Amino acid sequence: MGKFVIIGERIHCISPVIKKAMEEMDPGPILQRAKEQLDAGATYLDVNIGPAEKNGEELMKWAVQTIQAEFDNVPLCLDTANRKAIEAGISVYNRAKGKPIVNSADAGDRIENIDLAAANDAIVIALCSKAGVPSDNDERMMYCQEMLERGMELGMDPTEDMWFDPLFLVIKGMQDKQMDVLAFIQQLSDMGFKSTGGLSNVSNMTPKDIRPILDSTTVAMAMYCGLTSAIVNPCDRRLVETIKSADIIKNNALYADSFLEI
Amino acid sequence: MALKGIDIFKLTPKTNCKECGNPTCMAFAMKVAQGAVQIDACPHMSDEAKAQLSEATAPPMKAVKVGAGECEHSLGGETVLFRHDKTFVSRNLFAVNVCQGCVDDKLPEIEKIDYERIGERMYVEALNLEFTDKESYLGLVEKTKGKGRLLILDCKDVDAAKAALDLCKDEKPILNGATPENFKEMVDVAKAAGVVLGVSAPDLDALYDTVAAIEGLGYKELILDVTGGSIKDAYANAIQVRRAALKGQDRTFGYPSIVNVAKVAPDDTAMQTALASMFVIKYGSVIVMDSMTYAQALPLYGLRQNIYTDPQKPMKVEPGIYPLNGADENSVCATTVDFALTYFVVSGELERSGVPVNFLISDAGGYSVLTAWAAGKFSAGTISKFMKEYDIENKIKSRTLIIPGKAAVLKGELEEKLPGWTIVVAPNDATGLVKFMKDFK
Amino acid sequence: MAFKRTPQKFSASINEVVIGTGDKAVTLGGANTFPLYTFDGEAKNKVAIGVEITDEGFDASVPGIAEYYAGCEGIGAIAKKASEMPGADFVVLSLEGADPNGANKSVEDCVAIAKEVADAIDCPLAVVGCKNVEKDTQLFEKVAEALAGKNVLFVSAREEDYKGIVAAAVMAYKQKISAESAVDINLAKQLNVLISQMGISPENYVMNVGSAAAGYGYEYVASTLDRVRAAALEQNDAMLQMPIITPVASEAWAVKEAVVSEEDFPEWGPREERGVEMEVSTAASVIAGGADAVILRHPKSVDTIARLIAALM
Repeated sequence: MGKFVIIGERIHCISPVIKKAMEEMDPGPILQRAKEQLDAGATYLDVNIGPAEKNGEELMKWAVQTIQAEFDNVPLCLDTANRKAIEAGISVYNRAKGKPIVNSADAGDRIENIDLAAANDAIVIALCSKAGVPSDNDERMMYCQEMLERGMELGMDPTEDMWFDPLFLVIKGMQDKQMDVLAFIQQLSDMGFKSTGGLSNVSNMTPKDIRPILDSTTVAMAMYCGLTSAIVNPCDRRLVETIKSADIIKNNALYADSFLEI
Repeated sequence: MALKGIDIFKLTPKTNCKECGNPTCMAFAMKVAQGAVQIDACPHMSDEAKAQLSEATAPPMKAVKVGAGECEHSLGGETVLFRHDKTFVSRNLFAVNVCQGCVDDKLPEIEKIDYERIGERMYVEALNLEFTDKESYLGLVEKTKGKGRLLILDCKDVDAAKAALDLCKDEKPILNGATPENFKEMVDVAKAAGVVLGVSAPDLDALYDTVAAIEGLGYKELILDVTGGSIKDAYANAIQVRRAALKGQDRTFGYPSIVNVAKVAPDDTAMQTALASMFVIKYGSVIVMDSMTYAQALPLYGLRQNIYTDPQKPMKVEPGIYPLNGADENSVCATTVDFALTYFVVSGELERSGVPVNFLISDAGGYSVLTAWAAGKFSAGTISKFMKEYDIENKIKSRTLIIPGKAAVLKGELEEKLPGWTIVVAPNDATGLVKFMKDFK
Repeated sequence: MAFKRTPQKFSASINEVVIGTGDKAVTLGGANTFPLYTFDGEAKNKVAIGVEITDEGFDASVPGIAEYYAGCEGIGAIAKKASEMPGADFVVLSLEGADPNGANKSVEDCVAIAKEVADAIDCPLAVVGCKNVEKDTQLFEKVAEALAGKNVLFVSAREEDYKGIVAAAVMAYKQKISAESAVDINLAKQLNVLISQMGISPENYVMNVGSAAAGYGYEYVASTLDRVRAAALEQNDAMLQMPIITPVASEAWAVKEAVVSEEDFPEWGPREERGVEMEVSTAASVIAGGADAVILRHPKSVDTIARLIAALM
């Protein structure tokens, strides 16, 4: 197994600084956040440009080129509801360090993002949901299968290029569903699939000093069940140290005394 | 080899009919993969899919038996590409080419190579019989059969192969003779004689098609000749065939291999040794060479023993008295553990010193000095017990015992347990032994 | 149905490290496939061969070696002859005589020898220490200083002495080093981490992950090589992507099979042949495991392995 893939979530238009930088096409704040995340251990960087209905194509192209030029073609996860913007981003994307990830498809009205990924030899994050939260794992599995069939029909390699998202749920409100999510990750892993997701959702609305503890515990348990990636804040040191340690225990990375420093 | 849910899912009707009791075909496939449900629980699975499934659950690489009696060997059956993942199971065989013109000279040379190393008999296990014409070929078979070696009939002539097998089929030789042109006839010959059939072809695509066609004829006792036309081909073919079988789960290539390094490096002994070494590591099942001298055998058999050792089980040498450099009863004694690597390194250094020494090896569980000491398997007690069991005091007059530097702590205790003996501590590292022994003398 | 080839493609590759200067500079590493899997991708740089001589010259007890160097007066002439050996890419000077437990040659003497060797050859030079921690640190510092600008490879820095050697050889005099770990893959990685934390960039160091002659615990070497290469390519582990240099001659010519005389073991045949086959077998094995450079001694071994590499490219 390869190392756990940390997708850094901090280039997100919900942040006022990033939003402003994207509006003005000011590379400074974006590159700074990219650097912080890479230094902290991110493999992929998520680039969320928001709905970007107006200038999405231009903006995504600019973001991809700006970030890849500065950081040795760092692989990116293109995150927007604007499908044309994703395609535009891929058109200028350099694959030297890894395929682009389309974030994301689901079994509902975003299912065509699978087609987009297939047509562009990209990875797709496939959210096992249609509208809202699936009621149980059978329902998750049904969505998973729908997306899987679509991907396979289009010639995708489902065990490499479809990363299934179990849909992590917030503890404050859905505490009783947490083990379901873990069980579903285990099912995905048993079938040989890769998985990812917005893991820090579990600690949403909990106190700031608690979040790293909940997130890192969740990631450790989920990695035990076979989670292969997560979209997280890599600047959360406790979380990244947990991921690195779990990678060592799972024999995904070779141990060296300094493993936490690299 | 456990099947992934996805592979099974691909075979399901994907209708989510729920008749199997599962909500989706995907969920069903997953349970089958876990072994929780039988594939028959799906009423809509086609016979073809079921056959495919049973095919898919077969081992990725077939194990075949060649030879008979004491010459019987198992080839193939590997499950991993790298020995750190799991032990390699069937060590490769070494074969030497013989022909009608050279067999009388070569056989005595081949028979000279016969020795034991760490409990394993090292000898040329197989003879590769080169074909010239039918009449002399039958003569060659007569001369080589019953010699305690597996025979490989390297013969693409159907008629000659048949006649040769009439002479030696009881020895279960390998018939390395099938090609894209003659495989139909060769399969009949091999089937009738009940022997393993070697398949060769100009390239991997033709080899693949030929193997598939032979399987179609219902014969699966095969070995694949990966030699090709050049060194580069041979290396590439050996790896691609094994990788396709084990990593790609492509069972058409799931057979052991035979590679004739003499064909790609004729009249080049050192090159043949180099190539044979590479194929011990990657991925020859039978390695054919033009010769096997001691100079070649010593590294090659040692290498094979290393590569095919079980990483979980340390290699051990037999306990006993090993006189080095012509040691006699007056020569000093030295001791260390029975871990093979330690034994070889230390005995090598002692031999380099040229000083006669009785090397005493006791049963230390196959561990290195420090580990054995920590586990109580190399202690004053075990050493003195060994000395008594092997009656050292009556066999050897010297009363000097050299112990490893790393076991220096045993000195005092040994002096108590072995009254009359002088215990001398050697350097910590074996590389210091030559100087130590010379000075000591 | 035709055979479906599935090449193993990696987005990772082995670092490239250049030793020597000018036309004959040698680039080690660069591969992005498993060892010489040319069917998966083009081989980039060939596996390099270093020819070993020592501060004493050459091993005159081996007829083929003695014959090859016959007529060479002085270490400079010997080095030049070594560099001309068919198949040689670089010269390796082993300063084993510096060992305080051996000949204990002074640092000054060793520097003079190294200088004479470096001046006599136009191919790259690697300098092997005597494996004594204090002595190697002094030795490498002074040799690195004397050979500044020659882009020499120093073999090896170990856990005990890497700091001083890296500081002297790489930081002060811009030479290259090899980090040595004896078939301990975790230490191999750790040493690379520590060296990189000193601010040394990847194009400045290679590694020696351990060596053993065929039959002498070679399984540890085989598995270490396999695992290092797998981590470098499959896991894209940047701390194991250094090119690998493997000293073969010093192992192969030291085991019993290559040492004992024909008089003592008549059935084994000539000692020279045994040494060559041991050297060739071990070298081919480490190349199959992923070594990017091997160190050899005998002209026949060098010739055979050079032709093997050429045939596999």
